[in-house]
Amino acid sequence: MKVLPSTQRGKHRYVRFQVLSEEQVEFSDLDAALWNTALDFYGERGVAGMDLWLVKNLYDSSKQIGIARCAHTAVPALLACMGLLARLGDVRVAVKILKVSGTIRGLGKN
Amino acid sequence: MKFFDMHVHSAFSEGESSVMQLAQRAKELGYAGICFSEYFEGRARLEQLKAETAAAQRATGIEILLGFEARNTQELRRLVELRRMFDVLLAHGGDIAMNRAAVETREVDILTHPEHGRYDGGMNHVMARLAKENGVAIELNFREILTSNKKTRSRVLENMRDNVALARKYKAPIIVCSGAVSHAELRDPLSMTSMAQLLGMTPVEAKTALSSVPQSIFDKAGKRKDGKWVMPGVEIVK
Repeated sequence: MKVLPSTQRGKHRYVRFQVLSEEQVEFSDLDAALWNTALDFYGERGVAGMDLWLVKNLYDSSKQIGIARCAHTAVPALLACMGLLARLGDVRVAVKILKVSGTIRGLGKN
Repeated sequence: MKFFDMHVHSAFSEGESSVMQLAQRAKELGYAGICFSEYFEGRARLEQLKAETAAAQRATGIEILLGFEARNTQELRRLVELRRMFDVLLAHGGDIAMNRAAVETREVDILTHPEHGRYDGGMNHVMARLAKENGVAIELNFREILTSNKKTRSRVLENMRDNVALARKYKAPIIVCSGAVSHAELRDPLSMTSMAQLLGMTPVEAKTALSSVPQSIFDKAGKRKDGKWVMPGVEIVK
């Protein structure tokens, strides 16, 4: 399918974050937890407007640093959601926000 | 911009983590300072707590204040008499009589979660005006949101929104705190300011609630220690 012209593409923001926890956290658990937290807090309609996405191949499981994408108007909503992440299964977690940028390149390196 | 968390419980009161663990996690999350808000249990425990917070401050390099939280009006009166012995006085909100007593008392720095356990925000226009006059900050407690869900969480958020609107109208100071009882409950400053924005604050108001307002409490605590402070509103000028 033809790629949309740049003026028609959605505007996004990328958030680099680190998960602070006592045990290792897998990407699949983090992804499920973030989506469930967002759905519980904002509902299906609210999350639909956030354009939420957790980038799988950019998750560093050794340092537990990942990148999440959202719509440019939904950054406070995503950051608040990350603040509401308290547990992944039995593991207590806290999310530290490292940087917010309009591009993945702008986030810099881990 | 410097961020401060003014309501953290250690294992000295109802917390699960030690003073050092909390201080280290606060430094890791980027806070410039925190305030331990404990329950007063005698002067011996006070000296022990002061020693531990001083050690944690030396080890981590962040500023640490010692505060006590009054759980009822009787305890509030007692802590007001002992005001010179510690840095920050918090009042455990929720009960209307306690909320009212807290905003009427100039020695109180923070009224914590005035909507706690209530179906309303626990504040009215009279209390908001008194909070402004007496410099009592109204707290938005993140833990109240974190530990509730579904209908309870909706009610908590609604009540907090009402308090934000009242405080804005009457220009009472608002402060955002984690209310953490363990190091795992401390939250990133950006997450807390974002939640404050979802409760109706502007981005500038939200950042002020986590930086300038607690900074002013730190400054007041500093003045209280330097010997020039006599009582609220009275200072020795040489």
